Amino acid sequence: MSPSTSSTTVNGFTALPVSYPSSATHYIYARRHEGSEKPNASTRNRKTTDLPTGRTLFLVNVPPDATERELVLLFKPCGTVEKVVLDFDAHDSQDDDDSDDGGEDEDAEKDGDRAMQEDVPSRKRRKVAKEEVPKVVPLPHAPHRTIRKTGLTAYVVFLDASSLDRVSSLATKTRPWSTSSEEPSGLAHYSAMFRNLRPPLDLIQEHVDTYMELFEYKLAKSKQKSKYRKGEAIVDDDGFTLVTRGGAYGKTLGGGVTVASKRFQRSGETSSRRRRPKEKQEKEGFYAFQRAEKQRSELLNLKKKWEEDKAKVEKLKQSRKFKPY
Amino acid sequence: MASNLKRKRGGEPTPRKSPKLDIEESVAGSDDEGFDEGEDSGSEGEEWGGTGTAMDVDRRGPSSSKPKKAPTGEELRAIREATDLYRSSSFKLQIDALLPNVRPKQSRTVPLEKFLLKLHTFLMQLPSVEPQHPLEAARKLQKKGVAVSYCAPLPTEDTNWKVAFEKPDDITLVGSWPNKVSVKAKDGFQYGVDIAVQMPDGLFQEKDYLNARFFQKKAFYLASLANSMQSTKSGLNVDVFYESTAGDPRLTKLVLVPKPDGSQTDFTKLNARVCIIPSVSPSNPIPLHRLSPAHSNLRVNDGANLPTPVYNNALLTAFSPKPHLLSTYNLIHSIPAFADALTLLRIWANQRGFGEGSKLCVKGFENAGNLWPALLELLINGEDSTTRGAPPRKPLGKGLSSYQLFKSALSCLATQDFSKHPALAKSASKHKYPPSEYQANHTATLVDSSSLVNALSYIPPGCIDMIRHEAAKTIETLQSSALAVDPFTDVFLHDHRDVATRFDIIFKVDLSSAKARKSSLHEALDFGSATNHLLFNMNALLRKALGDRIHAVAFLQPSSTNSLPSTRPLTQAHPSTSSTIFVGLVLDPASAFNLVQLGPAADSTDLEALTAFQELWGSKSEMRRFKDGRIAESVVWDVKTADERAHVPAMVVRHILQWHFGLGEEHVQTWQSAYDSVIRMPKEIATKYIQGAGSSMGFKGAMQAFDRLVKSVKALDDELPLSLVNASPISESLRYTSTFSPVPLTQSLAAALPPNARYLQPINIVFEFEQSGKWPDELKAIQKIKLAFFESIGTGLMKSVEGLKASVVLGSGNITDSNELMDKAYLEIVTPEGWAFHARIWHNREATLLDRILDDNGPNPHVVVSKKRKQQERKGKEYLDALEAKEVYDRRFMHAPRHHRAVAALNHQYAAFSGTCRLVKRWFASHWFLGGHVSEEAVELLCAQFFVLDGKHVGTDVDIPKNTLSVVPSTKERGFAMVMRFLSEWKWEEGGLWVCLYGPKKAEGEEESDGAPAVPKTAPAKASGTGVWTVSTDMDKDGKLWTRKGPDVIVAKRIRAIAGATWNYMQTMEDGTFNVQGMFIHPTRDYDFLVHLNPSVIPRYVHNIAADESLLGKGKFANDRLRKQEQDLVLPGFDPARSLFDDLQRTYADTFRIFFDPYGGDTYGAVWDPTLKESRPFRVLGGYSSVPVKKENEKAKDRGLVALNDSAVLGEIERLGSDLVKSVLKQR
Repeated sequence: MSPSTSSTTVNGFTALPVSYPSSATHYIYARRHEGSEKPNASTRNRKTTDLPTGRTLFLVNVPPDATERELVLLFKPCGTVEKVVLDFDAHDSQDDDDSDDGGEDEDAEKDGDRAMQEDVPSRKRRKVAKEEVPKVVPLPHAPHRTIRKTGLTAYVVFLDASSLDRVSSLATKTRPWSTSSEEPSGLAHYSAMFRNLRPPLDLIQEHVDTYMELFEYKLAKSKQKSKYRKGEAIVDDDGFTLVTRGGAYGKTLGGGVTVASKRFQRSGETSSRRRRPKEKQEKEGFYAFQRAEKQRSELLNLKKKWEEDKAKVEKLKQSRKFKPY
Repeated sequence: MASNLKRKRGGEPTPRKSPKLDIEESVAGSDDEGFDEGEDSGSEGEEWGGTGTAMDVDRRGPSSSKPKKAPTGEELRAIREATDLYRSSSFKLQIDALLPNVRPKQSRTVPLEKFLLKLHTFLMQLPSVEPQHPLEAARKLQKKGVAVSYCAPLPTEDTNWKVAFEKPDDITLVGSWPNKVSVKAKDGFQYGVDIAVQMPDGLFQEKDYLNARFFQKKAFYLASLANSMQSTKSGLNVDVFYESTAGDPRLTKLVLVPKPDGSQTDFTKLNARVCIIPSVSPSNPIPLHRLSPAHSNLRVNDGANLPTPVYNNALLTAFSPKPHLLSTYNLIHSIPAFADALTLLRIWANQRGFGEGSKLCVKGFENAGNLWPALLELLINGEDSTTRGAPPRKPLGKGLSSYQLFKSALSCLATQDFSKHPALAKSASKHKYPPSEYQANHTATLVDSSSLVNALSYIPPGCIDMIRHEAAKTIETLQSSALAVDPFTDVFLHDHRDVATRFDIIFKVDLSSAKARKSSLHEALDFGSATNHLLFNMNALLRKALGDRIHAVAFLQPSSTNSLPSTRPLTQAHPSTSSTIFVGLVLDPASAFNLVQLGPAADSTDLEALTAFQELWGSKSEMRRFKDGRIAESVVWDVKTADERAHVPAMVVRHILQWHFGLGEEHVQTWQSAYDSVIRMPKEIATKYIQGAGSSMGFKGAMQAFDRLVKSVKALDDELPLSLVNASPISESLRYTSTFSPVPLTQSLAAALPPNARYLQPINIVFEFEQSGKWPDELKAIQKIKLAFFESIGTGLMKSVEGLKASVVLGSGNITDSNELMDKAYLEIVTPEGWAFHARIWHNREATLLDRILDDNGPNPHVVVSKKRKQQERKGKEYLDALEAKEVYDRRFMHAPRHHRAVAALNHQYAAFSGTCRLVKRWFASHWFLGGHVSEEAVELLCAQFFVLDGKHVGTDVDIPKNTLSVVPSTKERGFAMVMRFLSEWKWEEGGLWVCLYGPKKAEGEEESDGAPAVPKTAPAKASGTGVWTVSTDMDKDGKLWTRKGPDVIVAKRIRAIAGATWNYMQTMEDGTFNVQGMFIHPTRDYDFLVHLNPSVIPRYVHNIAADESLLGKGKFANDRLRKQEQDLVLPGFDPARSLFDDLQRTYADTFRIFFDPYGGDTYGAVWDPTLKESRPFRVLGGYSSVPVKKENEKAKDRGLVALNDSAVLGEIERLGSDLVKSVLKQR
């Protein structure tokens, strides 16, 4: 491909030509990242802090197999890249390729036996300062590529705001796409992945143990926070008792108030068996007119069906379906 | 208009009422604006014309709510009749619509009538020919270009009788034409207009019945007729041909085909031909009593006067045209439905090849025109009281509908054994010959009331079995209610002549060198034609040898093709015969594959039976001592593998043909082994596997390995926190339906194999542990705990079983792993024998937790959640993840084990099921659909429908009735053909398929009443899928479980097209160019681009349908092997070609549609999304790789159009698959 001489812009995006080994040119569209216009969205808050407006570049149509390293290499001429965020919209924790480290905070009930054994260390840790939550030993992880859907978006955060201005200069020249050798691709990628997915068993054990430790820690923490204690009623400031369903045997929490079953709440039905329809007050076929009417409606139905069949066959006839051969 | 006037007049007395009623009327009819004015006012007029207005109002009162009137008495009667006398009212309407299509157009008969008149006058003024010596007469005619079809024994120079010609006594229009019951024949064959030309009595003598003298005289008579008609002087302007019924020269007739000249007598447009059949009057000097089946009328030199039933029957045929005409006429006029029933019966027969056609027809039925009226007559009149023990058949009522008559004719065909019990229709006069004589001399008998001809005399016994089988099949269809196809369509509109779905095994036999080992001259003469005799004997012998292995052995031949028409020019005296015949077997799976055929015991005194047995089997028959101590003459078939067992019936046929007719391997062609090789590995590799793994291969080996594994996991009880309750297999390798029979792979074996033959298919199983409250109540934690479980099972197993390897696999390694709610990790176990298992853990709490996320009401149903928030949650990652996870959970843990059990059970019931599935899967794979577009389970369901039928016999231990079994395919070839036919015809747009895999389908009402509570209405919204097929079972009423991901509209249409092509290709079996492999070669022309992979690095290349053997050789370097010894060679499920395919499919889901053969395919094919061809405005989330479109001029600048950057996409593919992709070929 001969390098294009002038830069192309599409809808405010600058098209950055990137050449592939097979003499094809790929286009990445780049634009300055402007901060979220709606500050009210709470979920976006983090995003804006993560992506400083002045020095972030928004990219569209990044190659599906691109890694951070490769993007850093691409934008090296413009300046030092602080970080790269791939596929931001899909998932926040996607920044790094490891999807299994599971550092998520999540609270739910839990009392597994495994956790019981680890109760002691976790309790110990609870006492120490908040920053020192149990640390999860991540699963061993050799770098491998994540192949995403094509037409991917990415953010490149430069260290220096001036780098952004230099990006447009990239558009004038087709630059080769440099693949980093650390993450193999193709056949080597698949064999590496095959190995990576099968880590040694002891590491897995360690990982799970520490994970559960953290889980336990968080659970305890949330328990601490919540007002609920087993067997105690929750009474709010106004003196109302909170009544919820729960407990192993359908007992309500704080007290002996029965609560409607789930089924009732959902469907308005109390039991799984359907009630028999109530017997009609009036007897059927008791009066002569009833019988006559019934007979008549039967006949009408019969004719209706007949007409329907006729129409159906007529339709088939028109589509020449009745020519057997 | 008259009714309008009437209305005005009638309306006057009640002016007050009319506006109101009008309003009512218009309200009622308002839904269709333009209702028929004339009709409406007409009906109203009638009512208004009545004097009793009050009564009118009364009658109209209730009807005002309904727009329609009550049906009149007339209508009511018609409706009632239709519903009571037919299968259903729509069935009756369909019959009514069908019948006119198969009858000749009355408007075109005028020229024919004129022609017939002309012919009559012409024939009546023919000059007579003096009596002369037969040979001399023949020579004279020969000069004029007409051969006389004398039959054996031919007249010699010293015969002392003479042949002559005189103008016919009488000319009658006979057969179905004058009775107006002609039925269109298949393949555009002509209507036959039969004319019986009565030869004068004076030409014959009493002794003419002897030694075919009658036939010689008749032949001369016919030749003279032909001679005079052929000459241009006749003015008839027709082509004259000879035609011999059933290839018997004694039954020759003349066929007149008009030359199109546009004259008044040119009846070309009618598509008919006139047949001239010579007949004799009842006053003929030949005594009828000499023609009984037991009489011998052929005197052969050897002196023994054996009966000549076929000969006698042929002679009697000359007497029959007029009586048949009359009896049919009487029936038509006394029974209103007779003509329709006869027509239905003949359509039915034509569709099944019991008639004429240029495709394969069942032998013996080509000219069985009078069989059908005879059969109906038998039913209507009942049976003559006969010698048979059972009471004779009772006459049927005369008021039956055409459908009822048709159905009873079928049930008669299906149940009555015409060979054991001759059927003689009741006639006014006594029958001429006793039934016992028929029984003794004919193989099967059906005689009508004229008591002359046996309608079944020409039909080989196996072909009679065939019609019995077909009739039974049709009755089954008519009775069953839950079939995918409309019974009417199936019975009357579908062509059932294709051999592939009809027969379990098909042979193509070349008769040219056939020579019967034992042949009697007398019998050959009796049959009149050597071929007929040979085929009849062959059929009888095969039937005897196959015995209870089969339901029917049918001989098939096209009755007339372009290359070999049934008519012959006048210069040819004898009919020519085709040298190939197709033999079709319908197997009885209960005993078809028995290895031993027992004959008489050694100590039996019945010497006759012993010699008969030895005579039948020849060298194969030997005295054997069996395990239970019996010593008996027997035939044992040698079988090495399970596959070969399916070949036993074929072996029997081959042996009989070889032994009795000298037809060797090369003359008898079957396609069974070719089908076998499609689902096998190349031989060289297979032998290595056998050496490496020994006897523990195949499905049995896999099951044993599974059982061993479960046992050893159960033994770990103490080491595991919870004990194992259940281990359910969910792999096709454990339910006999994987295309390739499963093989283990050990390290040492792998080293001996080339790298592209080292694929090890892991077997998926599901562990279920006992219930425990100790599981964390949170999805992500549950997934982690599963890891811990796997770890401890793995460690435990490695300790307890030597040589076993276990590792925990964290997921699939691609982007789908980011879903943390989903079950994705599994334990990989490689047993010391080399079997690989992938085990997962089923924890039922997951479902509840997922449902909580998915539930509309949230975890706390009483808390009102704002709609806005709900919608936001819907879009949220957690919700989408949960949706996906739930789907995977349902499929993997709920449905897959159930499906597995049902399919495995089916396998034990039907021997051919497994083979069918494997073949069909191979087909789907080799056409690049399987895996990526069609799931394995969907294929299994598609196949299962032909086995479970209406589900009556699912899960029962009771023996399945034979009738049902004969409908079910007994060999995989037939099953495969049925699936192909189905796929090519299935209108998935119009309706789904219901497979009764779990028992009979419940009636609609029932389903609603008890089906609903079981499946809560609050089931989470199903993730949207693009699949268009609906394949429902009782467990999956939506029918999308296995077809949600595909095939989508485009793919489904392509499947239909390719299945159609395959189906058409199968039809070439008839002309012998058929090659099984050809059905599995995929056309790659239609793809926009092809990605060729490097076959030497694909571990599954060995499974490729057209694997190149040279690429499967040893590794190139000798020291290569040493190096490999160190590293792990057994990589279960490692298939980079498939992984790359999955990645590409996911990555470019909106860019192109990609196809690939999962069984070792070495090419991907893809088509661009057609909507991307045009440039579009740029969008941030366009979802495809694009290139800015160069603006044409300055104005277009703002539009910012982009187009698909196809070359970059191809470049990406090359990079994604580096080392794997050999080349990318752009085709378009």
